[in-house]
Amino acid sequence: MLLARVEGNVVATRKHPSFEGWRLVICQPIDKEGAAEGVPQVAIDAYGAGLHQRVVISSDGAAARKAVGDEKSPARWMVVGVVDDPNES
Amino acid sequence: MRLGTVIGRVTLSVAVGSLQGARWLIVSPFNREHFQNGTQTPAGMSNEPSLVVYDNLGGSVGQTIGFVEGREAACPFESPTPIDAINAALVDEIFYTPFNP
Repeated sequence: MLLARVEGNVVATRKHPSFEGWRLVICQPIDKEGAAEGVPQVAIDAYGAGLHQRVVISSDGAAARKAVGDEKSPARWMVVGVVDDPNES
Repeated sequence: MRLGTVIGRVTLSVAVGSLQGARWLIVSPFNREHFQNGTQTPAGMSNEPSLVVYDNLGGSVGQTIGFVEGREAACPFESPTPIDAINAALVDEIFYTPFNP
């Protein structure tokens, strides 16, 4: 699992059917200070993570397949939680 | 899933049985800088190593695709297939806003 920041989203009409209806968010892995680390990953998101919110993403394909409900899905990265922000009321 | 630009194609006349007739793309993955360009083909390739991706969506040269790497890439196949990268989405639009505190 990686700590990441949501930096956008992707729109794709032609895609694997299992991604139908899923939000695809661009997640930039970050360190604890918030500096970018590595290349951005596109993850499926069920929690409606907002722009520049910090999230935890998981690379567990088995869990992602379960989430999309398709045992033949190539889904891998998924948002598993939104990080609490102490500055947010 | 990572995003990348299709920069070429590969054809195989001899291949493993389960890969007969498959379509292959050469993809240059986006790095952080490339995201700012959206779906426009970035000038030049990124410094990320390019890779060969299995394609059944019909991606073509110049397009931006989302590809999945790892064991998950072989999941859509009925039989065990030696694949570790698959084209999972043809990207229409990218909305990207880098975080600059």
